[in-house]
Amino acid sequence: MAGIRLVNVNKTFPGNVTVIPGLDLEIKDKEFVILVGPSGCGKSTTLRMIAGLESISSGDLYIGDKRVNDTAPKDRDIAMVFQSYALYPHMSVYNNLAFGLKLRGVPKDEIDKKVKEAAKMLDIEKYLERKPRALSGGQRQRVALGRAMVRSPQVFLLDEPLSNLDAKLRGEMRTSISRLHKSLGVTFVYVTHDQVEAMTMADRIVVMKDGVIQQYDTPKNLYHSPINTFVAGFIGSPRMNLFPAHVSKVKNKIMLKADAYSFDAPASLSALLDGYIDRDVTLGVRPEDIHAEEFYMGLDNTLKINVTVDMAEMMGAELYAYFELAGERMISRIPSRMSVSEKDTLPLAIDLNKIHIFDKETGKSIRV
Amino acid sequence: METRSKRLDILFYIILTLLAVIFIAPVFIVLMNSFKGQFYITDSPFSLPNATTFAGLENYVNGLRKTGFFSAFLYSLFITVCSVLVIVFFTSMAAWYISRVKNVFTRALYYTFVFSMIVPFQMVMFSMSKIANAMHLDNPIGIILIYLGFGAGLSVFLFTGFVSGIPREVEEAAMIDGASPIRLYFSVVFPMMKPISITVAILNAMWIWNDYLLPYLVIGNKYRTIPIAVQYLQGGYGSRDMGALMAMLVLSIVPVVIFYLTCQKYIIKGVVAGAVKG
Ligand SMILES: Nc1ncnc2c1ncn2[C@@H]1O[C@H](COP(=O)(O)OP(=O)(O)O)[C@@H](O)[C@H]1O
Ligand SMILES: [Mg+2]
Repeated sequence: MAGIRLVNVNKTFPGNVTVIPGLDLEIKDKEFVILVGPSGCGKSTTLRMIAGLESISSGDLYIGDKRVNDTAPKDRDIAMVFQSYALYPHMSVYNNLAFGLKLRGVPKDEIDKKVKEAAKMLDIEKYLERKPRALSGGQRQRVALGRAMVRSPQVFLLDEPLSNLDAKLRGEMRTSISRLHKSLGVTFVYVTHDQVEAMTMADRIVVMKDGVIQQYDTPKNLYHSPINTFVAGFIGSPRMNLFPAHVSKVKNKIMLKADAYSFDAPASLSALLDGYIDRDVTLGVRPEDIHAEEFYMGLDNTLKINVTVDMAEMMGAELYAYFELAGERMISRIPSRMSVSEKDTLPLAIDLNKIHIFDKETGKSIRV
Repeated sequence: METRSKRLDILFYIILTLLAVIFIAPVFIVLMNSFKGQFYITDSPFSLPNATTFAGLENYVNGLRKTGFFSAFLYSLFITVCSVLVIVFFTSMAAWYISRVKNVFTRALYYTFVFSMIVPFQMVMFSMSKIANAMHLDNPIGIILIYLGFGAGLSVFLFTGFVSGIPREVEEAAMIDGASPIRLYFSVVFPMMKPISITVAILNAMWIWNDYLLPYLVIGNKYRTIPIAVQYLQGGYGSRDMGALMAMLVLSIVPVVIFYLTCQKYIIKGVVAGAVKG
């Protein structure tokens, strides 16, 4: 039973550096929540406050039903996995795992049982007698997870645990961590700057910027309904195309004009655009919603454009075609069997049902 | 390319060999003379012992008898070992505190320690020995405290530099694992400081073992350490026994050499670590 609740939590470092102005966040019991955002936005600071490694300047932190602002880290029933692994360098893997249990006065045979169990689960049984420096990065990572597991804490805190691993291993570890979360049935709070990690593992994602939560939702909702241009640009790779457009009303119909192209606003968004007549907005469209296949050219509710390809990037299954629209650099993901190369003129169709519209000044989606 | 670097290697070997010879020569001269009859030492100090000049262990027997070498050895050993233990124990803790708790007080503390390194001993020795007397530190136990004071500057400096390079996260992990500060220090921090602890221990052991002035001023004649006992062989009125002096010098060097050989690996490691950290 360990949900986590942060109520108006503020972190101000000595010298009046406010990193977290006031954070409200509720994480449910057994949930896997990922904090994501650019480097320096305060993710680690938030996690460290939950762990008790960083004091809370003001506001309240609850783990379970208990306010834990002034509780020592060891009494919060948490475990933490650090980016640097932070293993005890002078202890064997076995003792790294056993240390926390020893300190808590767990009987020796029980320690042995738990350590072996965790080692088996993480496939590090062979290395129990080794020192951490004789292990590879991936093995150290497993030991760090094992050390967190053996105490069976209610909350796992992980700070960029995979960022020191190579791409292949990172993929494998993503799966193991997801599986670990399911089998342990405890709350996971995970920090990363990598939106792919966030999208693949999280139940819910917190997108942060400058210490402020931008959006807190499931990966699917973040992807399909980003609340502002920051989230729109941060989630998804390659990033969402954002470009300016002008709103006008012609004969009771709301029209959008981007670059040289004029088109009817999608019906679902027309009503919301009422307040934006004769103003500029930012349009957003994901690269996969800009099509090149013949099939889309004939469809309604698409905007046909003709572009000159600046660069074509072959990715295997698909091809990224770069071009310019309304002064912005755009990307379209098209099937790689289409032969497209630099300087080609390419007809494209933007799916207007998938378009996002943001307020130009605030960057907020007009849906909210 | 290869022959050139090989030639360079040879040149280095020659230079290093010459340097080694220069450093070893005085020790060798002492060793050699310790086996010569005392009158031949002043006559021909640089010749090897031969049938006429060789005196067997006579110098050693004389020296041991005249100096009370065994008690001096025990005093030296006791003072050196205890001082080194006390220095390593307290200064490593102080350095940990200084580098982990960052505030005005710890910064002032740190600079005080560093400053104490650059104050020459001669400047403070008389006031120090007066205070030591007044505080009844003029005995083998009291002098350990004084050595702690004089050893602290460099030791705190070295430890602080080292601890600052250890990522804090290991300690944070231990805190989450449930370690109290004391437990954290002994089970996690101190073991991680092992390489620098050995360096600090060696550096302090060397100078405390060889130190003459401080024990002379503080505990003087009552509790003779080896350097003082050897010094007394010089005697007054020109009646010095050079043979015994040489023999005792050899005996006092032996423990340092043994100590050095056993710790050699760590000395080099410590120096290298220091060099890399810069
Ligand atoms: N002890 C500290 N004192 C002052 N500023 C700090 C301290 N720790 C972190 N910061 C600042 O807080 C901001 C957020 O840091 P952090 O939480 O580590 O970011 P993230 O993990 O999102 O990359 C950074 O700008 C960093 O410089
Ligand atoms: Mg971070």
